[in-house]
Amino acid sequence: MADSEFSPKFAPFFSFAGIASAMIFGSLGAAYGTAKSGIGIAGVGTFRPDLIMKSLIPVVMSGIIAVYGLVISVLIAGDLDPPPNKYMSLYTGFMHLAAGLSVGLAGVAAGYTIGIVGDAGVRAYMQQSRVYVGMILILIFGEVLGLYGLIVGLILNSKSSG
Amino acid sequence: MASRRSAEKTPPKEVAAPSSSGKKVSDSDVTPAVPTNVIMKLAFFSVAMIFVPIGMYFVTVNVGGTSATVGGIVAAIMANVVLVAYIFVAWKDDQAEREAEQKQKEKKAQ
Repeated sequence: MADSEFSPKFAPFFSFAGIASAMIFGSLGAAYGTAKSGIGIAGVGTFRPDLIMKSLIPVVMSGIIAVYGLVISVLIAGDLDPPPNKYMSLYTGFMHLAAGLSVGLAGVAAGYTIGIVGDAGVRAYMQQSRVYVGMILILIFGEVLGLYGLIVGLILNSKSSG
Repeated sequence: MASRRSAEKTPPKEVAAPSSSGKKVSDSDVTPAVPTNVIMKLAFFSVAMIFVPIGMYFVTVNVGGTSATVGGIVAAIMANVVLVAYIFVAWKDDQAEREAEQKQKEKKAQ
């Protein structure tokens, strides 16, 4: 099957756009979360170096956001093949774009939350240790935003690969 | 973390750690700022976070022979398993430190 109305030459463009947006936006969110919570951890660390290990949790969570982007990028890239082997439909291309964008932009939302909560949370934890459980819970709920994006991305991707 | 600097380095007095060797402040402190076991823990979790999720994805897809979607789900779950393990280790570490502090206080009281 060569080019047709349903599988034009430019269809893979949208798949590549999906891969790029998942990775770029996901890393953007993870970078913001790491940097903003890192500022808070540096502030806490100068006064209470013993709390650094427990304060690093927002950084680990930001890392997970980037892993989500990586996972969906690898999945989409696994579906692709150059034209003589595979003529991709435009429908599949748009679906890959939707999967990439949902993971990437949900990752931005989750990273933004983790950054702000991580910064304020570790500073509060320095003065009141009971804040810790609440901080972890808020961070988990923020992180779940990125997980929802990944779930939608996985469902979309499973539809395209059949 | 038992990575307390000596009391002279911590600026505000109300949060300064009550170190038992407070009298010998002038002696040079040769213990490393961050103990080795802490660095090992952090290095372990860094490596785990980089390699475990993506490694498990390729293991499930290439060795397990399942679909890529299942591999993606497994990768996401593994990333969260590493996170939970980190939270557990940090919590455990804090508990051990508090018990050690309690014991020191009891010794001083006697």
